[in-house]
Amino acid sequence: MECFVSVNDIRRYFDGEMKQEERDQFYLHLPDCIKCQEHFEEVKKTIALTQSASHIEAPPAFTSKVMDNLPHKKPRRRWKTWIHNHPLIVAALVCFIFSSIVFWLIWIGSDEVTISGEGNVEVIRETNTVLVPEGEMIEGDLVVRNGNVDVQGEVHGDLTVIHGEMSTTGQVTGDVEEINQMLAWIWYEIKTLTKDTWSSS
Amino acid sequence: MDEWMKRCVQKVQEGDTDAFSEIVNAFKDRVYQISYRMLGNSQEAQDIAQEAFLRAYTNLSSYDPNRKFSTWLFRITTNLSIDKLRKRKPNYSLDAEVEGTEGLDGYSQLAAQDVLPDEQVVMLEWQASIQKEISALPPKYRAAIILKYMEDLSLQEMSEILNLPVATVKTHVHRGREALRKRLKKW
Repeated sequence: MECFVSVNDIRRYFDGEMKQEERDQFYLHLPDCIKCQEHFEEVKKTIALTQSASHIEAPPAFTSKVMDNLPHKKPRRRWKTWIHNHPLIVAALVCFIFSSIVFWLIWIGSDEVTISGEGNVEVIRETNTVLVPEGEMIEGDLVVRNGNVDVQGEVHGDLTVIHGEMSTTGQVTGDVEEINQMLAWIWYEIKTLTKDTWSSS
Repeated sequence: MDEWMKRCVQKVQEGDTDAFSEIVNAFKDRVYQISYRMLGNSQEAQDIAQEAFLRAYTNLSSYDPNRKFSTWLFRITTNLSIDKLRKRKPNYSLDAEVEGTEGLDGYSQLAAQDVLPDEQVVMLEWQASIQKEISALPPKYRAAIILKYMEDLSLQEMSEILNLPVATVKTHVHRGREALRKRLKKW
């Protein structure tokens, strides 16, 4: 009888891919074909031998060895988790702290008296005072930092004193503002900045 | 089993380290079997099996609880074993003496079974001979044969463990089986 069984057919038999009829035919063929018989028995033996070798146990104390080697999980700190969950708040905080430091440094940084505004004023070094003498007229705003102001003449505009005291015997037509608090100063800086930005654009 | 496993994994994830020992106990024999059959050497097998559990522990957050835990664990084990085989010096064999253990070859390192001494010897020789034949297979066929006939896994599970399509797994099983058949002919 001629052999119609290929290696692939035998594979299909062992992988359970043969249909019932095919399998019946295969069984009928086996007793007549020594080649197939051999192959079939050998595969069966191979599988049986392999399966028979499959009873291995882990060495004693295996579990305790694994457990001893586990890394100690550090509990994640709460604030770390919090930072992880709130990136926007963290960014805002960092920004706030940074700008606070900058403002603070500027605030305490210089003792130099600075004057902005147009007109003739006298600076009296001894008392750290800016004097607007009698009869003098300043057109526009006058801003004095780190010094006292004594207005005996006239200011046609706003008068602002930062980090200092003022005494006016003369006349100021605009608003008079004395800023000795850091927050008020920051607010003033922001106001001026926005005003400048608006007017320049 | 699966429900119990899920609860165990969850407990470990919540920080209960002791729950992990239950997982190790449940799987140590099968994991050790894979690494031992892949490597054919009990010292290396023990190292790899331990490493597999350590990796599973540290990477537990990446385990998808909707899938079978054993599949995930066996995947780690086979990957580690195959890596180990790759890093090995070529021509490594069971007959070679293990470094630093003069006169002690691979056979004497086989795991001992709780049987009578006489039977134990026969058993060890038997196991060693089969192991020798399995070790002669290329690693990919070896993995396929071990998972299919020793761990008794389905082709689908094997495909997930080996990260190969089912058709490829089938081919590997077939080729491994054929290679083994030719080697075991003389038995």
